[in-house]
Amino acid sequence: MSSVLPRCRGLLMDSIRAQHGMGNQAGFSIEGSRASCTGNWLAANLHDVEKQLLHAQWSADRVQIDLGQISSLDTAGAWLIQRTINSLEASGMQVSLVGTDERTSQLLALVKARSESTREPPKPYQPHFLESVGRKAASQFQQLFEFLVFIGKLAFVFSQSALRPWRIRWPLVVKELQNAGVNALPIVGLLSFLIGIVIAYQGGVVLRDYGANIYVADIVGLSMVRELAPLITAIIVAGRTGSAYTAQIGTMMVTEEVDALRSIGVAPLEMLVLPKLIALVIALPLLTVFADVLGLLGGMLMSASMLDLNSVTFINRLSEALSLNSYLSGIGKAPVFAAVIAAVGCFQGFRVFGSAESVGRQTTISVVQSIFLVIIIDAVFSIAFSRLGI
Amino acid sequence: MLTESDSISLHSQPRQGECILLARNLVQDFGSKRVLDDINMQLNSGEVLAVVGGSGSGKSTLMRQLALLQVPTSGEIQVFGKNVSAMGEFRTLPLRRRMGVMFQHGALFGDLTVLENVSLPLREHTGLSLETVEQIAMLKIALAGLEPDAAALFPSQLSGGMRKRAAVARGIALDPEILFLDEPSSGLDPISADAMDDLVLHLKKTLGLTILMVTHDMDSLWRVADRVLLLADSRIAAEGTIHDLVESGNAVAQQFFHGPRGRAAGASHDQ
Repeated sequence: MSSVLPRCRGLLMDSIRAQHGMGNQAGFSIEGSRASCTGNWLAANLHDVEKQLLHAQWSADRVQIDLGQISSLDTAGAWLIQRTINSLEASGMQVSLVGTDERTSQLLALVKARSESTREPPKPYQPHFLESVGRKAASQFQQLFEFLVFIGKLAFVFSQSALRPWRIRWPLVVKELQNAGVNALPIVGLLSFLIGIVIAYQGGVVLRDYGANIYVADIVGLSMVRELAPLITAIIVAGRTGSAYTAQIGTMMVTEEVDALRSIGVAPLEMLVLPKLIALVIALPLLTVFADVLGLLGGMLMSASMLDLNSVTFINRLSEALSLNSYLSGIGKAPVFAAVIAAVGCFQGFRVFGSAESVGRQTTISVVQSIFLVIIIDAVFSIAFSRLGI
Repeated sequence: MLTESDSISLHSQPRQGECILLARNLVQDFGSKRVLDDINMQLNSGEVLAVVGGSGSGKSTLMRQLALLQVPTSGEIQVFGKNVSAMGEFRTLPLRRRMGVMFQHGALFGDLTVLENVSLPLREHTGLSLETVEQIAMLKIALAGLEPDAAALFPSQLSGGMRKRAAVARGIALDPEILFLDEPSSGLDPISADAMDDLVLHLKKTLGLTILMVTHDMDSLWRVADRVLLLADSRIAAEGTIHDLVESGNAVAQQFFHGPRGRAAGASHDQ
């Protein structure tokens, strides 16, 4: 087999070369005051000629260029010839062409008429380093400000809807609950189960040496219920649902559907954001409870198999180790995380501008920001709880 | 393996009027819906062929098939005398480079400037220095009728007409022999649409391009097209010069060219 493959590739390259006239390279030579161009002056095989032309030694004041041997020519080839003529003439030489057929002279005239436009290809404005740092900082502040405005508007819409709950679009809320909640159960369940196993294993290795096997229930219980279950669930949901919110609203921005909603007299915040926010604030605590259960189950299975701790003992110990406060402090964080994820996801969606590329960029920003904020808020909660002694 | 004589014949300029693209018995099904049915057509070197027809008549699908962007359900396509249906995707790459496509909405790469968009095919397929590539790209941008300043802009900063011109500039970057234009004047104001027609004629004349364009625009048909292919009900309903089609007794052509718009365009052309 190995001997066949290179051969096929060789054949292919041959055919590509042949079809592109690469076998018949462009050529250029100077003899005294006479230069001649030969072969196929086509874009694909001009790279050698380009270098030759740049380093050519023109000896005389009068130069004659013979184009009669050129078998085919395209605009790229014509431009190389015309560029050479332009620079020779600029240095005061006299250039005459011989052997030009009708098409060659047409192409030369075509590129000559547009020589001016090639003078300096304009570049997009490149700011100085300090300037770009400043601009970046300013835009971050502006984004923060816009986010606060968004939160304010959202709070306003929310409070208005809370006064008239029948105006909330409950069918949309249910649909979002299905998407963000029910459909996330398998992945959330699996990951927290695995994390339960990992923690029980890591804790178990140490505890076994001290003969303190029973305390593995404390480690698994407290770490899962207080910290890991809410955090893992929030991170999964941020990656899964927050990104979907940004992409959906972003695409609607690109296709002007958001503007269409406005023009019909429906507030996009009320139609697009509020149902998502409500659904996620309901779904995330429920998912966290599910993650708690599966995580503890994983820990329990691992303890049983590695530490020979039977499940009744494990559960009994768990009920002593876990207070109601610990449990609630874990669940209580979830609605806050949910609100942050939904708000950031939707906010970044509304920041999409212009093209499909922008949707991708804002989706990335949305996931990074919401995970970042979730972890920051979790840290703030930890500090607050420890000050309050919960 | 190709012989030397093949490579020479491939690269000598096709003679004026020589058939360079041929379609036989093309069929395209989307699910149970037949969009194209038994299409036979050819494109001759140096001509402007317009494909017209009502919305949903399969014009764009036909163009996508001929531009090798979509494999037909059945049928045969020959490009530059080679049967493409028998080739794999990779083997058709050299042929694709000899064809340029302007997509309806430009399909410019959003994170590149106009200059970078036009330079991209040149950078991919030639060994020229960046400086030369950019100069050639600027030539094409000028040829497509854009101001040099537009080269530094991103597609999102362009107007509809400028975007189409930039797309044409990218389409002609490698001096293709066939240029496909999907609705070149749709969504443009009348002045820009006229300018687009001028551009098509200009490119045909200066670069000796063969052009296949899909269009709705009656005025373009009169001004630009050498030959017109009228699609209706997934089939070719009529074919010929616009005069032939207007004069013909073909019912579909009558309906198409003798509606208020068709008559107005014809009348203004006759003046």
